Amino acid sequence: MNNGLMIAQLPVADWVEKFTDWLTTNWAGFFDVLQNFGKSLMNGITAGLIAIPPLVFILVLTVAAFFVSKKRWGLTAFTLLGLLYIYNQGLWADLMNTITLVLLSSLLSIIIGVPLGIWMAKSNRARIVITPILDFMQTMPGFVYLIPAVAFFGIGIVPGLFASIIFALPPTVRMTNLGIRGVPQDLVEAADSFGSTGWQKLTKVELPLAKNTIMAGINQTTMLALSMVVIASMIGAPGLGRGVLQALQRAQVGSGFVNGLALVVLAIIIDRFTQYLNQPKANKTKTPAQKKRQRYWTIAGLVAALGLVGSSVVYNQQQTQSQNKGTLNLSYVEWDTEVASTNVIAEVLRQEGYDVKTTPLDNAIMWESVAKGESDAMVGAWLPNTQAAQYKKYKKDVVNLGTNLSGAKVGLVVPKYMTDVNSIADLNGQANQTITGIEPGAGVVAAAEKAQQTYPNLKDWQVSTSSSGAMTVALGKAIKQKEPIVITGWSPHWMFSKYDLKYLKDPAGAMGQAETIKTMVRKGLKQDQPEAYQILDNFHWSVKDMETVMLQIHNGTAPEKAAKAWIKAHPKQVKAWTDVK
Amino acid sequence: MPIVKVEHLTKIFGKRVKPALEMIQDRQSKTEILKKTGATVGVYDANFEVNKGEIFVVMGLSGSGKSTMIRLINRLINPTTGSVYIDGADIAKMDKNALIQARRKKMSMVFQNFALFPNRTILENTAYGLEIKGVAKTERLKKAQATLKDMGLSAFADQYPDQLSGGMQQRVGLARALTNDPEVLLMDEAFSALDPLIRREMQDELLDLQQKMQKTIIFITHDLNEALRIGDRILIMKDGQVMQTGTGEEILTHPANDYVRTFTRDVDYAKVLTAQNIMIPALTLNLDKEGPNIALRRMRHEEVSMLVAVDSQRQLKGVISAENAVAARQKQAPLTDYLDTAVTTITKETIVNDIFKVINNSPTPVVVTEQNRVLGVVIRGSVIDALTDDAAVTESKTKGGDSNE
Repeated sequence: MNNGLMIAQLPVADWVEKFTDWLTTNWAGFFDVLQNFGKSLMNGITAGLIAIPPLVFILVLTVAAFFVSKKRWGLTAFTLLGLLYIYNQGLWADLMNTITLVLLSSLLSIIIGVPLGIWMAKSNRARIVITPILDFMQTMPGFVYLIPAVAFFGIGIVPGLFASIIFALPPTVRMTNLGIRGVPQDLVEAADSFGSTGWQKLTKVELPLAKNTIMAGINQTTMLALSMVVIASMIGAPGLGRGVLQALQRAQVGSGFVNGLALVVLAIIIDRFTQYLNQPKANKTKTPAQKKRQRYWTIAGLVAALGLVGSSVVYNQQQTQSQNKGTLNLSYVEWDTEVASTNVIAEVLRQEGYDVKTTPLDNAIMWESVAKGESDAMVGAWLPNTQAAQYKKYKKDVVNLGTNLSGAKVGLVVPKYMTDVNSIADLNGQANQTITGIEPGAGVVAAAEKAQQTYPNLKDWQVSTSSSGAMTVALGKAIKQKEPIVITGWSPHWMFSKYDLKYLKDPAGAMGQAETIKTMVRKGLKQDQPEAYQILDNFHWSVKDMETVMLQIHNGTAPEKAAKAWIKAHPKQVKAWTDVK
Repeated sequence: MPIVKVEHLTKIFGKRVKPALEMIQDRQSKTEILKKTGATVGVYDANFEVNKGEIFVVMGLSGSGKSTMIRLINRLINPTTGSVYIDGADIAKMDKNALIQARRKKMSMVFQNFALFPNRTILENTAYGLEIKGVAKTERLKKAQATLKDMGLSAFADQYPDQLSGGMQQRVGLARALTNDPEVLLMDEAFSALDPLIRREMQDELLDLQQKMQKTIIFITHDLNEALRIGDRILIMKDGQVMQTGTGEEILTHPANDYVRTFTRDVDYAKVLTAQNIMIPALTLNLDKEGPNIALRRMRHEEVSMLVAVDSQRQLKGVISAENAVAARQKQAPLTDYLDTAVTTITKETIVNDIFKVINNSPTPVVVTEQNRVLGVVIRGSVIDALTDDAAVTESKTKGGDSNE
């Protein structure tokens, strides 16, 4: 394949990077304002929703379902049982976060989308320009939006909102345009012939007649926003998506199903509500007086709902104002090692009176968030080798507090029964010439790819990426079947105590020597939170400590519980960290 | 004193308007222009005046440009060149706001398919024009109620258009236009979507209304009878061009050209008119399943004294008269014994002049058949009609142009 096109590759990636860089540097202030506003707004709404007692909330929604579905029992019962199930599984707070995200992204999509749709319907030129953009927005995989979203808004709920809007906007725009263009020509002519202004024509004729089509678009928009919730959790959007993602990365079928089912319940409720609200009025013979009464009731209902949320927001803010030592944001990657260490240090800091939020992120994004100061700290920087690339990129912007665990190791790992391989150089045709890796952004994977280039015998091999959870499942399956498998492994890890495994020797040193895990904090943390800074600086434990926690988590204990148990069992060690002079 | 005056009004659809316009100045035909430039001429250099208080009918076949014409008058379609003066002000030159004001005050429109807003009640539909003007709610509803009451629609005020019949809906359309109290009422094939009976009713109603209101009405139709019934003056269009303007009588007696002559079906045309153009549906009785009681009942219902007897295959069996049907009923005998089988039959290709010869000697209606299958009957009235002038027959379809209406 050496034709003319291949001689000079167009630097498209460079152009896009340059453009986003330019945007992020020149519009930083604007994005910051948006981010802070969005963050406080969404946190306020979520807090408000959480402040409503769940059972009251369930009751209100059930009653609403009863009336919305015109007194049919199916939806009513489903709403009640579905929400009770979510509450029972302890996913209430996640549900409220998800609802906030879906509501806001749908709402903003409508606010942006309907006017765009109207403009598209009114002007053929606008339609010609907007249609391909919509096609582009709808076919581009949702993941792609996460990258600029992080660049613009950092991590958390705001970039999730941004990505959701871009992803969910098109149906509303399209259907609005369709609906307005679909208004019968003679009705438009009639409106014109009586001398309606453009605005009168729009509000009195076109929008009322296009309403059903527009609502169908809005329904699709909410569904798309909901599906984006799962994807957005990779960049720190809280909610039910996080549970699904964690389950995927730890390969926990049960918990994945529980979270997924909660999302299904929410999706069905939202879908049915919007559909029922969109149904053409069957009671056509309503007198104006009845209409008026209905309008009053609707307004009263809205006011009541707003009052409910508003009051709980106020109540909540009063609650949070009587605060403790402040908030700390810890970010981590969903690896078993980091889940253990992050939960332990978070628990320690909580006991010291901090309000700690932990956000699971993708590896590269975790580094970026600390470098940008969106997260305060992370305790999962594998150096000098595994995360060399990230460290090189961000070391100017983070503060290295040194090692919190030494003796960590990464390498290629095989089961002991593969007696014919002891070194990477021995690999030739085993295991379908595949190295089973973890997340594409992980340092181990980069190291494995480096090894692949270093060792000539790995020329025809490939590193297949998935997630850390999926990798351990594949390993367990291969061991059960006594099949050969090569994985990207690291210690500390519970798999070494569960299975008989061995590291392959690495004569060329491509996978790095013994590694250390380091703590990185953002610049300025020392001034803002000297005490927390000190604790993070003191944090230090052994491979054995970590593996204890990891095994417990792996055996089904909740991470927070396992962390608390370990802290309880090691008071002296913890005291050494928290003694701040 | 003309209230509407149209001068050199031209509308060209398509892309290459300029060369088409030049060709119009050279008086080239519509087909030539279409061939050379690909542009369609909707209205070709029209000139006419409408006087205050008259019903002015614009008529022509599909594609003759009459619908475009009416939309040029209230500028739902922008003219390519020319002027439309209403009360001396040129609609074609107005800016947006002046145009909106002119539409609100000077003219209202009634549409072929009623164009009522399905999301509004009859009352709200009727008050639409006033609502647009910004009249206070109580006042506009009061006015709308009054109009509805005049038209006998008060009972339906709170219903929605899709709960009404076509005739009712068109009355609402008319009420909506009238509530606005315009100087000019534009009616675009207003009665074409209704069935013939209701249509006739509506025509009468419109004439009654006109007695009371003395409005200027520009009425579009493709039906010559309708035009003759209600029009004070008639304008005939073909291919976007005005053929002739005049009263109904003038147009029938002095057609300006061959097109108008054929269109209004002159005497000469009777030579090529055939039975199928003038026959009416036969009132039949199926001998295989219907007896004297049904026969009599049908005669009473249809207000006739004779029926054409057929079998289930619509094969002609004869004619049954009322006297014979009564006799059969008294005798408890089958109708077949009382049939009059001597029926004059003709084919559908028989020319009107020839029918005229046979119909005078036939006591029973002349039946049009095809292989003994009944297609219809010819009655004296329609033949005489066809041989004189004002033809009350189904249009022979001499369709001109593409139907872009």
